[in-house]
Amino acid sequence: MIPERLKDRFVDVFLVGTVALLILFFYVPILTLVVFSFTSSRVLTFPIEGFSLEWYGELFRKPDFLPAVTNSAIVAVISTVFATVLGSAGAVAWIRYRFRFQNIFRAISFLPLLFPQLLLGVVMLLWFSVLGNWLGFSTGLATVIIGHIVYITPFALVIVAVQVHGFDETLEDAARDAGASGWEVFREITFPLLWPGILSAATFAFLLSWGNFYVSYSLAGTARTLPIFVYSGIAVGSSPIYPALATLNFIPALVLVFLADFLRRRALKRQKLATA
Amino acid sequence: MRTDSKRWGDPVLVATVAPLGIVMLLFFIIPLVMTVVLSFQTTQFYRLSWTWDLKIWTEVFSKPHYWTIMARTVAMALVCVVVCVLIAFPAAYALATRLRAYNAQIQILIIFAFLTDAVLKTFGWILVLDKSGVANWLLAHLGLGPEALNLLFTPTGTIIGMVYGLVVYPMFTIYLSLARIDRDLVLAAYDSGASRLRAFFEVTLPLARPGLYCGAVLVFVLSLGAFLEPKVLGGGTAPLASELIRQSFETRVNWPLGAALTLVLIVIGALSLALAAAVLMRGNRGRAVQ
Repeated sequence: MIPERLKDRFVDVFLVGTVALLILFFYVPILTLVVFSFTSSRVLTFPIEGFSLEWYGELFRKPDFLPAVTNSAIVAVISTVFATVLGSAGAVAWIRYRFRFQNIFRAISFLPLLFPQLLLGVVMLLWFSVLGNWLGFSTGLATVIIGHIVYITPFALVIVAVQVHGFDETLEDAARDAGASGWEVFREITFPLLWPGILSAATFAFLLSWGNFYVSYSLAGTARTLPIFVYSGIAVGSSPIYPALATLNFIPALVLVFLADFLRRRALKRQKLATA
Repeated sequence: MRTDSKRWGDPVLVATVAPLGIVMLLFFIIPLVMTVVLSFQTTQFYRLSWTWDLKIWTEVFSKPHYWTIMARTVAMALVCVVVCVLIAFPAAYALATRLRAYNAQIQILIIFAFLTDAVLKTFGWILVLDKSGVANWLLAHLGLGPEALNLLFTPTGTIIGMVYGLVVYPMFTIYLSLARIDRDLVLAAYDSGASRLRAFFEVTLPLARPGLYCGAVLVFVLSLGAFLEPKVLGGGTAPLASELIRQSFETRVNWPLGAALTLVLIVIGALSLALAAAVLMRGNRGRAVQ
Protein backbone atom coordinates (compact mmCIF):
# COMPACT_ATOMS: atom_id res chain seq x y z
CA MET A 1 0.00 0.00 0.00
CA ILE A 2 1.45 3.34 -1.05
CA PRO A 3 1.22 5.96 1.68
CA GLU A 4 -1.26 8.78 0.89
CA ARG A 5 1.39 11.48 1.24
CA LEU A 6 3.63 9.83 -1.34
CA LYS A 7 0.73 9.47 -3.72
CA ASP A 8 -0.12 13.18 -3.42
CA ARG A 9 3.51 14.02 -4.01
CA PHE A 10 3.46 11.85 -7.12
CA VAL A 11 0.36 13.61 -8.46
CA ASP A 12 1.98 17.01 -7.85
CA VAL A 13 5.12 16.00 -9.70
CA PHE A 14 3.06 14.62 -12.59
CA LEU A 15 0.97 17.77 -12.93
CA VAL A 16 3.81 20.25 -12.65
CA GLY A 17 5.87 18.02 -14.94
CA THR A 18 3.19 18.18 -17.63
CA VAL A 19 3.36 21.96 -17.65
CA ALA A 20 7.17 21.90 -17.74
CA LEU A 21 7.16 19.41 -20.63
CA LEU A 22 4.53 21.42 -22.46
CA ILE A 23 6.61 24.59 -22.24
CA LEU A 24 9.63 22.62 -23.41
CA PHE A 25 7.51 21.32 -26.31
CA PHE A 26 6.52 24.89 -27.22
CA TYR A 27 10.09 26.10 -27.21
CA VAL A 28 11.86 23.17 -28.89
CA PRO A 29 11.38 24.46 -32.46
CA ILE A 30 11.87 28.08 -31.41
CA LEU A 31 15.18 27.48 -29.63
CA THR A 32 16.32 25.16 -32.42
CA LEU A 33 15.82 27.95 -34.93
CA VAL A 34 17.82 30.37 -32.78
CA VAL A 35 20.71 27.88 -32.53
CA PHE A 36 20.72 27.14 -36.25
CA SER A 37 20.76 30.82 -37.14
CA PHE A 38 24.38 31.00 -35.92
CA THR A 39 25.68 28.06 -37.92
CA SER A 40 28.61 28.54 -40.24
CA SER A 41 27.58 25.69 -42.53
CA ARG A 42 25.06 25.76 -45.34
CA VAL A 43 23.78 22.31 -44.35
CA LEU A 44 21.35 22.25 -41.45
CA THR A 45 22.51 19.30 -39.35
CA PHE A 46 22.74 19.15 -35.59
CA PRO A 47 25.02 19.88 -33.78
CA ILE A 48 25.94 22.95 -35.80
CA GLU A 49 29.49 23.06 -37.10
CA GLY A 50 30.68 26.49 -36.09
CA PHE A 51 29.57 29.94 -35.06
CA SER A 52 29.02 32.68 -37.60
CA LEU A 53 26.73 35.57 -38.35
CA GLU A 54 27.03 35.31 -42.12
CA TRP A 55 23.44 34.12 -42.66
CA TYR A 56 22.08 37.33 -41.17
CA GLY A 57 24.00 39.21 -43.85
CA GLU A 58 22.86 36.75 -46.48
CA LEU A 59 19.24 37.33 -45.46
CA PHE A 60 19.47 41.08 -46.00
CA ARG A 61 21.10 40.53 -49.39
CA LYS A 62 17.99 38.63 -50.54
CA PRO A 63 16.26 41.14 -52.84
CA ASP A 64 12.70 40.20 -51.88
CA PHE A 65 13.29 40.14 -48.10
CA LEU A 66 12.90 43.82 -47.25
CA PRO A 67 9.83 44.35 -49.49
CA ALA A 68 8.18 41.41 -47.68
CA VAL A 69 8.99 43.04 -44.32
CA THR A 70 7.49 46.33 -45.50
CA ASN A 71 4.33 44.58 -46.72
CA SER A 72 3.94 42.68 -43.45
CA ALA A 73 4.38 45.88 -41.47
CA ILE A 74 1.78 47.78 -43.52
CA VAL A 75 -0.71 44.93 -43.24
CA ALA A 76 -0.11 44.41 -39.52
CA VAL A 77 -0.40 48.09 -38.54
CA ILE A 78 -3.60 48.75 -40.50
CA SER A 79 -5.25 45.46 -39.46
CA THR A 80 -4.33 46.06 -35.82
CA VAL A 81 -5.95 49.50 -35.78
CA PHE A 82 -9.17 48.26 -37.40
CA ALA A 83 -9.38 44.97 -35.48
CA THR A 84 -8.79 46.70 -32.14
CA VAL A 85 -11.30 49.51 -32.71
CA LEU A 86 -13.99 47.24 -34.18
CA GLY A 87 -13.36 44.56 -31.56
CA SER A 88 -13.48 46.99 -28.63
CA ALA A 89 -16.70 48.62 -29.80
CA GLY A 90 -18.16 45.19 -30.52
CA ALA A 91 -17.17 43.91 -27.07
CA VAL A 92 -19.08 46.73 -25.35
CA ALA A 93 -22.16 45.93 -27.44
CA TRP A 94 -21.73 42.20 -26.75
CA ILE A 95 -21.60 42.48 -22.98
CA ARG A 96 -23.21 45.73 -21.86
CA TYR A 97 -26.07 46.34 -24.23
CA ARG A 98 -29.27 44.47 -24.95
CA PHE A 99 -30.83 45.10 -28.34
CA ARG A 100 -32.86 43.48 -31.09
CA PHE A 101 -30.96 41.07 -33.30
CA GLN A 102 -28.18 40.91 -30.69
CA ASN A 103 -27.81 37.17 -31.17
CA ILE A 104 -27.29 37.61 -34.90
CA PHE A 105 -24.67 40.26 -34.18
CA ARG A 106 -22.95 37.96 -31.68
CA ALA A 107 -22.96 35.06 -34.10
CA ILE A 108 -21.52 36.90 -37.08
CA SER A 109 -18.88 38.69 -35.03
CA PHE A 110 -17.69 35.48 -33.33
CA LEU A 111 -18.03 32.87 -36.06
CA PRO A 112 -14.73 33.55 -37.90
CA LEU A 113 -12.97 32.29 -34.76
CA LEU A 114 -14.51 28.85 -35.36
CA PHE A 115 -13.34 28.76 -38.96
CA PRO A 116 -10.15 27.07 -40.04
CA GLN A 117 -8.08 29.94 -41.41
CA LEU A 118 -7.55 28.25 -44.74
CA LEU A 119 -11.29 27.96 -45.35
CA LEU A 120 -11.81 31.56 -44.26
CA GLY A 121 -9.19 32.58 -46.79
CA VAL A 122 -10.66 30.45 -49.57
CA VAL A 123 -14.20 31.71 -48.99
CA MET A 124 -13.02 35.31 -49.11
CA LEU A 125 -10.84 34.60 -52.13
CA LEU A 126 -13.87 33.37 -54.05
CA TRP A 127 -15.80 36.50 -53.17
CA PHE A 128 -12.94 38.87 -54.02
CA SER A 129 -12.36 37.08 -57.32
CA VAL A 130 -16.00 37.39 -58.34
CA LEU A 131 -16.11 40.98 -57.12
CA GLY A 132 -12.80 41.70 -58.86
CA ASN A 133 -14.20 40.37 -62.12
CA TRP A 134 -17.16 42.70 -61.86
CA LEU A 135 -15.33 45.78 -60.63
CA GLY A 136 -11.98 45.21 -62.28
CA PHE A 137 -9.50 44.74 -59.43
CA SER A 138 -7.27 41.85 -58.44
CA THR A 139 -6.27 40.55 -55.01
CA GLY A 140 -3.32 42.18 -53.28
CA LEU A 141 -2.35 43.87 -50.02
CA ALA A 142 -5.77 45.53 -49.63
CA THR A 143 -7.60 42.20 -49.72
CA VAL A 144 -5.03 40.73 -47.29
CA ILE A 145 -5.78 43.57 -44.86
CA ILE A 146 -9.54 42.95 -45.13
CA GLY A 147 -8.97 39.22 -44.59
CA HIS A 148 -6.84 39.88 -41.51
CA ILE A 149 -9.47 42.21 -40.07
CA VAL A 150 -12.16 39.53 -40.43
CA TYR A 151 -9.92 36.87 -38.91
CA ILE A 152 -8.42 38.91 -36.06
CA THR A 153 -11.31 41.10 -34.87
CA PRO A 154 -13.06 38.20 -33.03
CA PHE A 155 -9.85 37.58 -31.03
CA ALA A 156 -9.67 41.29 -30.09
CA LEU A 157 -13.37 41.21 -29.25
CA VAL A 158 -13.02 38.28 -26.84
CA ILE A 159 -10.02 39.84 -25.08
CA VAL A 160 -11.72 43.21 -24.59
CA ALA A 161 -15.00 41.49 -23.64
CA VAL A 162 -13.24 39.88 -20.66
CA GLN A 163 -12.20 43.36 -19.53
CA VAL A 164 -15.71 44.77 -20.08
CA HIS A 165 -17.14 41.89 -18.07
CA GLY A 166 -15.14 42.85 -14.99
CA PHE A 167 -16.07 46.52 -15.38
CA ASP A 168 -17.38 48.42 -12.36
CA GLU A 169 -20.13 50.62 -13.75
CA THR A 170 -20.76 52.45 -10.46
CA LEU A 171 -17.67 54.53 -11.31
CA GLU A 172 -19.47 55.81 -14.40
CA ASP A 173 -22.55 56.60 -12.34
CA ALA A 174 -20.43 58.50 -9.86
CA ALA A 175 -18.84 60.56 -12.63
CA ARG A 176 -22.25 61.28 -14.14
CA ASP A 177 -23.63 62.32 -10.73
CA ALA A 178 -20.68 64.67 -10.40
CA GLY A 179 -21.86 66.37 -13.60
CA ALA A 180 -19.68 64.84 -16.29
CA SER A 181 -21.06 64.71 -19.83
CA GLY A 182 -21.37 61.46 -21.79
CA TRP A 183 -18.13 62.09 -23.65
CA GLU A 184 -16.27 63.06 -20.45
CA VAL A 185 -17.43 59.87 -18.74
CA PHE A 186 -16.12 57.87 -21.68
CA ARG A 187 -12.79 59.73 -21.82
CA GLU A 188 -12.09 59.89 -18.09
CA ILE A 189 -13.63 56.64 -16.80
CA THR A 190 -14.72 54.09 -19.39
CA PHE A 191 -11.73 54.22 -21.69
CA PRO A 192 -9.01 54.21 -18.98
CA LEU A 193 -10.71 51.25 -17.28
CA LEU A 194 -10.86 49.27 -20.52
CA TRP A 195 -7.38 50.31 -21.61
CA PRO A 196 -5.49 47.23 -20.28
CA GLY A 197 -7.79 44.93 -22.24
CA ILE A 198 -7.57 47.07 -25.38
CA LEU A 199 -3.78 47.05 -25.12
CA SER A 200 -3.66 43.24 -24.85
CA ALA A 201 -6.06 43.00 -27.78
CA ALA A 202 -3.87 45.28 -29.91
CA THR A 203 -0.73 43.26 -29.11
CA PHE A 204 -2.51 40.04 -29.99
CA ALA A 205 -3.89 41.56 -33.18
CA PHE A 206 -0.50 42.84 -34.30
CA LEU A 207 1.31 39.55 -33.75
CA LEU A 208 -1.50 37.45 -35.25
CA SER A 209 -1.40 39.60 -38.36
CA TRP A 210 2.40 39.75 -38.53
CA GLY A 211 2.74 35.96 -38.41
CA ASN A 212 -0.35 35.09 -40.42
CA PHE A 213 0.18 32.69 -43.27
CA TYR A 214 -3.11 31.06 -44.26
CA VAL A 215 -5.26 34.14 -44.85
CA SER A 216 -2.43 36.06 -46.53
CA TYR A 217 -1.53 33.09 -48.72
CA SER A 218 -5.09 32.90 -50.05
CA LEU A 219 -5.62 36.61 -50.55
CA ALA A 220 -2.25 38.13 -51.43
CA GLY A 221 -2.27 37.54 -55.17
CA THR A 222 1.25 38.40 -56.27
CA ALA A 223 2.07 40.46 -53.16
CA ARG A 224 4.34 38.87 -50.55
CA THR A 225 4.29 39.13 -46.79
CA LEU A 226 6.99 37.71 -44.56
CA PRO A 227 5.33 34.30 -43.88
CA ILE A 228 4.70 33.85 -47.62
CA PHE A 229 8.36 34.73 -48.28
CA VAL A 230 9.41 32.01 -45.82
CA TYR A 231 6.91 29.46 -47.13
CA SER A 232 7.94 29.83 -50.75
CA GLY A 233 11.59 29.67 -49.63
CA ILE A 234 11.36 26.48 -47.55
CA ALA A 235 9.22 24.84 -50.24
CA VAL A 236 12.26 25.04 -52.54
CA GLY A 237 14.86 23.94 -49.99
CA SER A 238 16.06 24.77 -46.52
CA SER A 239 18.69 27.41 -45.97
CA PRO A 240 20.16 28.93 -42.80
CA ILE A 241 18.73 32.32 -43.71
CA TYR A 242 15.32 31.18 -42.39
CA PRO A 243 16.56 30.44 -38.87
CA ALA A 244 18.27 33.85 -38.98
CA LEU A 245 15.00 35.45 -40.03
CA ALA A 246 13.15 33.55 -37.29
CA THR A 247 15.56 34.81 -34.63
CA LEU A 248 15.20 38.39 -35.84
CA ASN A 249 11.45 37.87 -35.82
CA PHE A 250 11.32 36.59 -32.23
CA ILE A 251 13.07 39.56 -30.65
CA PRO A 252 10.49 42.30 -31.41
CA ALA A 253 7.64 39.87 -30.67
CA LEU A 254 9.15 39.03 -27.29
CA VAL A 255 9.70 42.70 -26.48
CA LEU A 256 6.13 43.50 -27.52
CA VAL A 257 4.58 40.70 -25.44
CA PHE A 258 6.54 41.65 -22.32
CA LEU A 259 5.96 45.37 -22.78
CA ALA A 260 2.22 44.89 -23.23
CA ASP A 261 2.07 42.72 -20.13
CA PHE A 262 4.07 45.27 -18.12
CA LEU A 263 1.81 48.14 -19.21
CA ARG A 264 -1.31 46.08 -18.59
CA ARG A 265 -0.24 45.23 -15.08
CA ARG A 266 0.76 48.80 -14.30
CA ALA A 267 -2.66 49.97 -15.46
CA LEU A 268 -4.37 47.32 -13.31
CA LYS A 269 -2.34 48.33 -10.28
CA ARG A 270 -3.26 51.99 -10.80
CA GLN A 271 -6.90 51.04 -11.04
CA LYS A 272 -6.72 49.14 -7.79
CA LEU A 273 -5.12 52.14 -6.09
CA ALA A 274 -7.72 54.47 -7.60
CA THR A 275 -10.70 52.40 -6.50
CA ALA A 276 -9.27 51.58 -3.07
CA MET B 1 -22.97 42.97 -14.66
CA ARG B 2 -25.66 45.53 -15.43
CA THR B 3 -26.86 45.77 -19.01
CA ASP B 4 -28.52 48.64 -20.87
CA SER B 5 -31.41 47.98 -23.20
CA LYS B 6 -30.88 49.96 -26.35
CA ARG B 7 -33.02 50.75 -29.35
CA TRP B 8 -31.70 50.84 -32.87
CA GLY B 9 -32.31 54.59 -33.04
CA ASP B 10 -29.63 55.13 -30.39
CA PRO B 11 -26.51 56.53 -32.08
CA VAL B 12 -24.23 54.88 -29.48
CA LEU B 13 -25.60 51.46 -30.36
CA VAL B 14 -25.26 52.09 -34.09
CA ALA B 15 -21.69 53.32 -33.61
CA THR B 16 -20.63 50.22 -31.67
CA VAL B 17 -22.51 47.57 -33.65
CA ALA B 18 -22.79 48.79 -37.22
CA PRO B 19 -19.12 49.00 -38.34
CA LEU B 20 -18.25 45.48 -37.19
CA GLY B 21 -21.60 44.13 -38.36
CA ILE B 22 -21.12 45.59 -41.83
CA VAL B 23 -17.52 44.32 -42.15
CA MET B 24 -18.58 40.80 -41.18
CA LEU B 25 -21.61 40.91 -43.44
CA LEU B 26 -19.67 42.12 -46.47
CA PHE B 27 -16.55 40.04 -46.08
CA PHE B 28 -17.69 36.96 -44.19
CA ILE B 29 -21.41 36.23 -44.62
CA ILE B 30 -21.72 37.27 -48.27
CA PRO B 31 -18.55 35.30 -49.19
CA LEU B 32 -20.10 32.23 -47.53
CA VAL B 33 -23.28 32.66 -49.56
CA MET B 34 -21.15 33.20 -52.66
CA THR B 35 -19.32 29.93 -52.00
CA VAL B 36 -22.65 28.10 -52.00
CA VAL B 37 -23.68 29.88 -55.21
CA LEU B 38 -20.38 29.10 -56.94
CA SER B 39 -20.60 25.40 -56.11
CA PHE B 40 -23.58 25.22 -58.52
CA GLN B 41 -21.63 26.66 -61.45
CA THR B 42 -19.13 25.02 -63.80
CA THR B 43 -15.93 25.96 -65.56
CA GLN B 44 -15.18 26.00 -69.25
CA PHE B 45 -11.61 26.45 -70.49
CA TYR B 46 -10.48 27.51 -66.99
CA ARG B 47 -13.14 30.22 -66.88
CA LEU B 48 -16.19 30.32 -64.70
CA SER B 49 -19.47 29.90 -66.51
CA TRP B 50 -22.78 30.65 -64.80
CA THR B 51 -24.76 27.51 -65.57
CA TRP B 52 -26.66 26.61 -62.37
CA ASP B 53 -26.49 22.83 -62.36
CA LEU B 54 -25.49 20.00 -60.09
CA LYS B 55 -22.53 18.84 -62.17
CA ILE B 56 -19.92 19.69 -59.54
CA TRP B 57 -21.89 18.15 -56.71
CA THR B 58 -22.43 14.94 -58.71
CA GLU B 59 -18.67 14.84 -59.29
CA VAL B 60 -17.93 15.40 -55.60
CA PHE B 61 -20.30 12.66 -54.49
CA SER B 62 -19.27 10.14 -57.12
CA LYS B 63 -15.50 10.26 -56.63
CA PRO B 64 -14.32 7.92 -53.85
CA HIS B 65 -10.91 9.62 -54.05
CA TYR B 66 -12.33 12.81 -52.48
CA TRP B 67 -14.06 10.88 -49.71
CA THR B 68 -10.92 8.91 -48.86
CA ILE B 69 -9.17 12.22 -48.31
CA MET B 70 -12.09 13.64 -46.34
CA ALA B 71 -12.14 10.52 -44.14
CA ARG B 72 -8.39 10.83 -43.59
CA THR B 73 -8.81 14.50 -42.68
CA VAL B 74 -11.49 13.65 -40.11
CA ALA B 75 -9.39 10.78 -38.71
CA MET B 76 -6.34 13.02 -38.33
CA ALA B 77 -8.49 15.68 -36.70
CA LEU B 78 -9.84 13.12 -34.19
CA VAL B 79 -6.34 11.90 -33.31
CA CYS B 80 -5.33 15.51 -32.87
CA VAL B 81 -8.29 16.12 -30.52
CA VAL B 82 -7.43 13.13 -28.34
CA VAL B 83 -3.74 14.05 -28.05
CA CYS B 84 -4.50 17.74 -27.42
CA VAL B 85 -7.02 16.98 -24.66
CA LEU B 86 -4.71 14.43 -23.00
CA ILE B 87 -1.96 17.05 -22.85
CA ALA B 88 -4.13 20.10 -22.19
CA PHE B 89 -6.19 18.74 -19.30
CA PRO B 90 -3.41 17.93 -16.82
CA ALA B 91 -1.57 21.12 -17.79
CA ALA B 92 -4.66 23.29 -17.31
CA TYR B 93 -5.42 21.48 -14.05
CA ALA B 94 -1.90 22.14 -12.82
CA LEU B 95 -2.16 25.81 -13.77
CA ALA B 96 -5.48 26.15 -11.96
CA THR B 97 -4.49 24.27 -8.80
CA ARG B 98 -0.73 23.94 -8.31
CA LEU B 99 1.01 26.74 -10.15
CA ARG B 100 -1.12 29.76 -9.26
CA ALA B 101 1.92 31.74 -8.15
CA TYR B 102 3.60 31.40 -11.54
CA ASN B 103 0.48 31.70 -13.71
CA ALA B 104 1.33 35.11 -15.17
CA GLN B 105 4.83 34.06 -16.23
CA ILE B 106 3.69 30.72 -17.68
CA GLN B 107 0.88 32.40 -19.57
CA ILE B 108 3.27 34.88 -21.14
CA LEU B 109 5.60 32.08 -22.24
CA ILE B 110 2.70 30.21 -23.82
CA ILE B 111 1.19 33.29 -25.47
CA PHE B 112 4.53 34.24 -26.99
CA ALA B 113 5.01 30.76 -28.44
CA PHE B 114 1.41 30.76 -29.71
CA LEU B 115 1.69 34.14 -31.38
CA THR B 116 4.90 33.68 -33.35
CA ASP B 117 4.92 32.97 -37.04
CA ALA B 118 3.50 29.49 -37.76
CA VAL B 119 5.56 28.96 -40.92
CA LEU B 120 8.79 29.60 -39.04
CA LYS B 121 7.78 27.29 -36.18
CA THR B 122 6.91 24.56 -38.67
CA PHE B 123 10.31 25.00 -40.25
CA GLY B 124 11.79 24.73 -36.77
CA TRP B 125 10.10 21.33 -36.42
CA ILE B 126 11.79 20.18 -39.64
CA LEU B 127 15.15 20.97 -38.07
CA VAL B 128 14.14 19.07 -34.93
CA LEU B 129 12.63 16.00 -36.58
CA ASP B 130 15.04 15.65 -39.50
CA LYS B 131 17.19 12.52 -39.60
CA SER B 132 20.25 14.59 -38.76
CA GLY B 133 18.19 16.89 -36.54
CA VAL B 134 18.04 17.71 -32.86
CA ALA B 135 15.71 14.88 -31.79
CA ASN B 136 17.86 12.11 -33.27
CA TRP B 137 21.08 13.66 -31.97
CA LEU B 138 19.57 13.73 -28.50
CA LEU B 139 18.37 10.13 -28.75
CA ALA B 140 21.76 8.95 -29.99
CA HIS B 141 23.46 10.66 -27.06
CA LEU B 142 21.02 9.15 -24.63
CA GLY B 143 22.19 5.79 -25.91
CA LEU B 144 19.08 4.90 -27.86
CA GLY B 145 20.98 4.32 -31.07
CA PRO B 146 21.20 6.36 -34.24
CA GLU B 147 18.11 7.08 -36.26
CA ALA B 148 15.81 5.87 -33.57
CA LEU B 149 13.30 8.40 -34.84
CA ASN B 150 12.15 8.83 -38.37
CA LEU B 151 9.17 11.09 -37.95
CA LEU B 152 9.64 13.67 -40.65
CA PHE B 153 7.38 13.15 -43.67
CA THR B 154 5.10 10.73 -41.82
CA PRO B 155 1.55 11.23 -40.47
CA THR B 156 3.08 11.33 -36.97
CA GLY B 157 5.08 14.36 -38.07
CA THR B 158 1.85 15.99 -39.21
CA ILE B 159 0.15 15.23 -35.88
CA ILE B 160 3.06 16.70 -33.91
CA GLY B 161 2.79 19.89 -35.92
CA MET B 162 -0.99 20.10 -35.59
CA VAL B 163 -0.97 19.44 -31.84
CA TYR B 164 1.75 22.05 -31.49
CA GLY B 165 -0.40 24.66 -33.16
CA LEU B 166 -3.71 23.82 -31.50
CA VAL B 167 -3.08 22.57 -27.95
CA VAL B 168 -3.29 26.14 -26.64
CA TYR B 169 -7.03 26.34 -27.39
CA PRO B 170 -8.24 23.45 -25.15
CA MET B 171 -5.71 24.48 -22.49
CA PHE B 172 -7.30 27.90 -22.38
CA THR B 173 -10.94 26.72 -22.36
CA ILE B 174 -10.29 23.96 -19.79
CA TYR B 175 -8.33 26.37 -17.60
CA LEU B 176 -11.23 28.84 -17.70
CA SER B 177 -13.73 26.23 -16.57
CA LEU B 178 -11.43 24.84 -13.88
CA ALA B 179 -10.64 28.32 -12.54
CA ARG B 180 -14.35 29.03 -12.17
CA ILE B 181 -15.01 25.97 -10.02
CA ASP B 182 -15.97 26.91 -6.50
CA ARG B 183 -13.25 25.46 -4.28
CA ASP B 184 -15.83 24.92 -1.53
CA LEU B 185 -17.58 22.26 -3.62
CA VAL B 186 -14.41 20.18 -3.73
CA LEU B 187 -13.81 20.73 -0.01
CA ALA B 188 -17.41 19.71 0.70
CA ALA B 189 -16.80 16.47 -1.17
CA TYR B 190 -13.72 15.82 1.00
CA ASP B 191 -15.74 16.58 4.14
CA SER B 192 -18.38 14.07 3.19
CA GLY B 193 -15.67 11.45 2.97
CA ALA B 194 -14.81 11.35 -0.71
CA SER B 195 -11.27 10.40 -1.58
CA ARG B 196 -9.23 12.83 -3.70
CA LEU B 197 -9.74 10.65 -6.74
CA ARG B 198 -13.46 10.34 -6.19
CA ALA B 199 -13.84 14.10 -5.61
CA PHE B 200 -11.98 14.69 -8.85
CA PHE B 201 -14.18 12.37 -10.88
CA GLU B 202 -17.47 13.36 -9.29
CA VAL B 203 -17.03 17.08 -8.73
CA THR B 204 -14.14 18.60 -10.67
CA LEU B 205 -14.40 16.67 -13.92
CA PRO B 206 -18.15 17.18 -14.47
CA LEU B 207 -17.80 20.90 -13.72
CA ALA B 208 -14.90 21.14 -16.17
CA ARG B 209 -16.94 19.49 -18.91
CA PRO B 210 -17.97 22.69 -20.77
CA GLY B 211 -14.34 23.74 -21.17
CA LEU B 212 -13.36 20.23 -22.16
CA TYR B 213 -16.02 20.00 -24.87
CA CYS B 214 -15.42 23.52 -26.17
CA GLY B 215 -11.69 22.90 -26.39
CA ALA B 216 -12.13 19.54 -28.07
CA VAL B 217 -14.56 20.78 -30.69
CA LEU B 218 -12.41 23.85 -31.35
CA VAL B 219 -9.38 21.65 -32.01
CA PHE B 220 -11.44 19.38 -34.25
CA VAL B 221 -12.89 22.18 -36.35
CA LEU B 222 -9.63 24.10 -36.68
CA SER B 223 -7.60 21.02 -37.57
CA LEU B 224 -9.92 20.31 -40.52
CA GLY B 225 -8.17 23.16 -42.34
CA ALA B 226 -4.56 22.21 -41.52
CA PHE B 227 -2.43 22.78 -44.57
CA LEU B 228 1.11 23.72 -43.55
CA GLU B 229 1.70 20.70 -41.31
CA PRO B 230 0.67 17.93 -43.74
CA LYS B 231 2.54 19.70 -46.51
CA VAL B 232 5.76 20.63 -44.72
CA LEU B 233 6.02 18.01 -41.93
CA GLY B 234 3.97 15.25 -43.56
CA GLY B 235 5.86 15.68 -46.81
CA GLY B 236 2.63 15.66 -48.81
CA THR B 237 2.57 11.85 -48.80
CA ALA B 238 -0.87 11.64 -47.22
CA PRO B 239 -2.70 14.74 -48.49
CA LEU B 240 -5.53 16.15 -46.44
CA ALA B 241 -8.62 18.08 -47.54
CA SER B 242 -6.75 21.38 -47.50
CA GLU B 243 -4.38 20.11 -50.19
CA LEU B 244 -7.32 18.94 -52.29
CA ILE B 245 -8.92 22.37 -52.06
CA ARG B 246 -5.67 24.14 -52.90
CA GLN B 247 -5.15 21.92 -55.94
CA SER B 248 -8.64 22.52 -57.24
CA PHE B 249 -7.88 26.26 -57.16
CA GLU B 250 -4.26 26.39 -58.24
CA THR B 251 -3.62 23.36 -60.43
CA ARG B 252 -7.02 22.72 -61.92
CA VAL B 253 -8.35 26.30 -61.73
CA ASN B 254 -11.74 24.86 -60.94
CA TRP B 255 -13.42 27.29 -58.56
CA PRO B 256 -16.80 25.54 -58.34
CA LEU B 257 -15.04 22.34 -57.30
CA GLY B 258 -12.95 24.21 -54.73
CA ALA B 259 -16.10 25.88 -53.42
CA ALA B 260 -17.94 22.55 -53.13
CA LEU B 261 -15.06 20.84 -51.31
CA THR B 262 -14.76 23.84 -48.97
CA LEU B 263 -18.47 23.54 -48.21
CA VAL B 264 -18.11 19.82 -47.42
CA LEU B 265 -15.49 20.70 -44.78
CA ILE B 266 -17.58 23.58 -43.43
CA VAL B 267 -20.59 21.25 -43.08
CA ILE B 268 -18.50 18.64 -41.24
CA GLY B 269 -17.27 21.38 -38.90
CA ALA B 270 -20.74 22.84 -38.38
CA LEU B 271 -22.23 19.42 -37.61
CA SER B 272 -19.57 18.70 -34.99
CA LEU B 273 -20.17 22.11 -33.40
CA ALA B 274 -23.91 21.41 -33.30
CA LEU B 275 -23.27 17.99 -31.77
CA ALA B 276 -21.03 19.47 -29.06
CA ALA B 277 -23.63 22.15 -28.31
CA ALA B 278 -26.38 19.53 -28.05
CA VAL B 279 -24.32 17.32 -25.71
CA LEU B 280 -23.48 20.29 -23.49
CA MET B 281 -27.08 21.42 -23.40
CA ARG B 282 -28.27 17.96 -22.40
CA GLY B 283 -25.63 17.80 -19.68
CA ASN B 284 -26.84 21.12 -18.28
CA ARG B 285 -30.47 20.04 -18.32
CA GLY B 286 -29.55 16.78 -16.59
CA ARG B 287 -27.89 18.71 -13.81
CA ALA B 288 -30.85 21.08 -13.49
CA VAL B 289 -33.21 18.12 -13.02
CA GLN B 290 -31.08 16.68 -10.25
